[in-house]
Amino acid sequence: MLLQLNKISKWVQSGGQKVHLLKDIDLWVHEGDFISIMGPSGSGKTTLLNVLGMLDDFNEGEYTFLDESVHKLKEKHRSNLYKQYIGFVFQSYHLIDELTVKENLEMPLLYKKYGGSERKARVADMLDRFNIVGKKDLFPAQLSGGQQQLVGIARALIANPKLILADEPTGNLNSKQGEEIMETFKELNDQGVTIIQVTHSEKNTSYGSRIINLLDGEIV
Amino acid sequence: MIRNYFKIIWRSMIRQKQFAFLNIVGLTLGIATCLVLGLYVYDEMTYDTFHEKGDRIYRVNQSHIWEDWNDQYASNGPNLGIALRSDVPEFEQITRLLDQGAQTMRTNLKGRENTLYKEEQCYLAEENFFEVFSFNFLQGNPKTALKDPKSIVITQKTAARYFGKENPIDKTLEIRENDGSWSTFTVTGVVANVSSKSHIQFDMLISLNSISERMKSNGWLWVWTGFSTYGLVKEGTNIEALRQKIQAIPPKWAANTTERIFNQTYDEFTAGKPWKLYLQPLRKIYLSDDPAEHRFGPNGNPQYVKLFSAIGILILVLSSINFMNLSTARSSKRSKEVGIRKVLGSERRKLIKLFILESTLFVCISTVFALIIVQLLLNVFNSIAVKELSLLSMLGNPVFLVILVSFVAFLGILAGSYPAFYLSAFKPIETLTGKVSAGFKGKKMRNGLVVVQFTISIALIICTFFVQKQLAYSSSLDLGLAKDNVLQIHNTEQLRQNVKVLKSKLEANSAFTHVGRSYGIPPYIWSGDRYKASESQTPAINLSDFRTEGDYLDLLGVEFLAGRNFDPERKNDKYGVILNEEAVKVLGWGPKETFAANSPIGKYVEMTNENEDKLEVLGVVKNFNFNSTKEKIAPLVILHQDNDLVWNYQRGLTFLSARLNPNVVKNTRDLQALIDDIKEEMAGMDASILFEYSFMDQEFEETFRTEQRMATVLNIFTVLALIIACLGLFGLTAFSAEQRIKELGIRKVLGAKVSQLALLFSSEFTKLVLISVLLASPIAYFLVDRWLTNFAYRTPIEIWVFAVALLFAVIITIITVSFQTIKIANTNPVNSLRTE
Repeated sequence: MLLQLNKISKWVQSGGQKVHLLKDIDLWVHEGDFISIMGPSGSGKTTLLNVLGMLDDFNEGEYTFLDESVHKLKEKHRSNLYKQYIGFVFQSYHLIDELTVKENLEMPLLYKKYGGSERKARVADMLDRFNIVGKKDLFPAQLSGGQQQLVGIARALIANPKLILADEPTGNLNSKQGEEIMETFKELNDQGVTIIQVTHSEKNTSYGSRIINLLDGEIV
Repeated sequence: MIRNYFKIIWRSMIRQKQFAFLNIVGLTLGIATCLVLGLYVYDEMTYDTFHEKGDRIYRVNQSHIWEDWNDQYASNGPNLGIALRSDVPEFEQITRLLDQGAQTMRTNLKGRENTLYKEEQCYLAEENFFEVFSFNFLQGNPKTALKDPKSIVITQKTAARYFGKENPIDKTLEIRENDGSWSTFTVTGVVANVSSKSHIQFDMLISLNSISERMKSNGWLWVWTGFSTYGLVKEGTNIEALRQKIQAIPPKWAANTTERIFNQTYDEFTAGKPWKLYLQPLRKIYLSDDPAEHRFGPNGNPQYVKLFSAIGILILVLSSINFMNLSTARSSKRSKEVGIRKVLGSERRKLIKLFILESTLFVCISTVFALIIVQLLLNVFNSIAVKELSLLSMLGNPVFLVILVSFVAFLGILAGSYPAFYLSAFKPIETLTGKVSAGFKGKKMRNGLVVVQFTISIALIICTFFVQKQLAYSSSLDLGLAKDNVLQIHNTEQLRQNVKVLKSKLEANSAFTHVGRSYGIPPYIWSGDRYKASESQTPAINLSDFRTEGDYLDLLGVEFLAGRNFDPERKNDKYGVILNEEAVKVLGWGPKETFAANSPIGKYVEMTNENEDKLEVLGVVKNFNFNSTKEKIAPLVILHQDNDLVWNYQRGLTFLSARLNPNVVKNTRDLQALIDDIKEEMAGMDASILFEYSFMDQEFEETFRTEQRMATVLNIFTVLALIIACLGLFGLTAFSAEQRIKELGIRKVLGAKVSQLALLFSSEFTKLVLISVLLASPIAYFLVDRWLTNFAYRTPIEIWVFAVALLFAVIITIITVSFQTIKIANTNPVNSLRTE
């Protein structure tokens, strides 16, 4: 088992009232899963994803990731954990505008203190794998949305994460680009990468193996 | 990693050119200002540091026995040195220096016998002078050069002036004596030109042994207070103990003099006040305003040093604030990067490093620009401030380089710290999902910093304004005398009897309405003596005195309140005096309202000499400024020029003043022709006299020269401070505009007019500036009030000046802000609303 959520709840105080963002979420994820989280706007999809990615806190419940109790960890250990095992893909790509494709890809490796030659090898590998060798010296602004998202995915993958969290990865793309991205996810999943995506699109869920429906912070 | 950082810093600099430009310009101005002022302050604080034994040299000051005994006086009688040598073995050397004033010189070299030179910096020095002070001896033997009477040591430039490339040693120079004869001196040594950073500035040193005859007359030795006495203490001397010990000297030694000169015992002379001796460290002499009296050489003003240090630091603070403000304002753009970096695994520490590195880089670039600018503009500053600052010579100084590097690091960290900690604290998901518009965070802080900036700039503006106002006020004061159109001819004492001939010639010239002779000219009346009201028990007091004739008082146009002017027809008038109101008052004869009942006319002023000579009061004049208007008008005794009861200083300088008739002298050409005529006239009488002249109004202005200079420097830096603050404001509005573009777009769609938007937008910043004015006003009031205590006649601190400053600040703000306002208000709202 990769991770397990046990009765996770998250709320905010609003006008003296508790407003639940997440309520009693139980979730198991095995390695190799491809899970789609669905639900209307405001149902808590992104919040759940952020909790899974350890970017956000929760108020109640237990979260176990690779047999570590995340809820008991200190901030620093927690961030070490996600840095090591999780890659993020965002709806709006979030590439650094001032860096080229190659440099964007290299950045996670810098933070993980990979040596120069290994960084080069991995970046070259990724460029090759995603067929973007020709774009390596371009800046994000010079790429199409689909290409930017490819770079985003490549960046998420470069440090060999066990889990990819994707928040509406195709939300800003047209349908053709979207399909290509989903195909890429499918291939990755076939190679054994665990993927959790948040999506609005029924079509996208068809690439996955499991669907979780959220409504008002609860799994339905 | 570092490479990656540099890359991203460089690229974001290129990408946000306006931001980078504002930052670098602001920082460059700030650093350049700080550098210049730093150089200035450093220069001021390192005077007299080149003497090898400098840490053991002290100048011996004494109580100001001529006025307030609590004050210090920088020179003493010649016998103090003798007494110290005999009684205080803690001194390794004692050396005395006597300022000789300007001398007329000539050489006997062929073909140049008739060329006269004026040497302004001429001193009598003792033979051990060079054993105490380390002036660089180029030729001759420093141990013996000043030993023989009539020997003279000159500087390199003086040598070049008289002897060109020839060896000056053993050549002779002639100095004109008072009686018109020439004394011959032999050059025994040449020293390198005196560093500008020495409080002893000389071109010639004459052996003190040349006047050994004069020094032997016992009577004067403690009240001939013209000698600067320097002591070199032995190593390891306890200075405090020495200070105590030397207090015993005056009571033991000075009695002889007071009895001879004043016919008073030591106790009578001091009237119980201690005749103190002070030891002032050599390196503290230049930059000290105590003692204020009778010091020579250049003197620094500790107030200005403090002022300029403060301004330098303030301007640096201003530009650092700019940097912080612009960086945090820009954080809306950087927050995304911060979020991504954090998600990708960066620790906060690394982000802080990145931002500090970025700010340090900005500081580095700005420092390089600042160094270039300072190098280019230092000469301009030097000419304004009359300094010889040099940047290049400092760059070779390792200490300076260390300071510069640590300064860059310090400023980088200081300026980068706020953005670094602020930006790195963002929660990644908040920034990535755009939940917080980061730019709005910390808005209070930024507004606070803007208020600080404007408070500083506005306070500076108000201060500058009052400085100008005070200077204008000082020069427009009614002096009580007519200072315009008065030509003053110097050195006429050297004409001896011919001065009367020259005077009658000038009188006959229709170009002049008045001609008068005087010993000393306003605003430089320094002489004084001890006087008392005759037949009264009041003690003798020190009064300024001034020797002249009736014609001169007519020329000055002073107003008589009682009595009459000197009358050349009445022989006895030479023992009469004319007092000013103030003198009448301090002598105890009441203010002018009581003159009718109890007239001072016909009373006597008594002198404190052996005969207790009495001088009859002939007239009382209204107070007039005979010294700089910085000082209150002092009590003044006007003596007749032929009065032979009062000591006349023998060497007293005589001036012939003449009031120009503007109907005859219409332009500068007429004036020049007139002056040339007088010059020729004087040369015809005695070709050995140097012809010099001045104008009284210019002399009065001269007394405010340091203030004028300071005002100019202050103006420059106030403008700089304002520019820096405006740069910051400009940057901030640009970012605020970016942030509010959506809000303004919505308002526009809902029907707001451009003018309404502009008003809405500027009002936010105008509010800040108003707060700054409120804060700056009391600060400025306090500073101005303190500064004005330097002046006897002060311009009133009026409220309208603050109002003008307020108006000025608001206008500047609106102009600065309006660039952005107009730009943004005219944007098509469709563009701004579409971006989401």
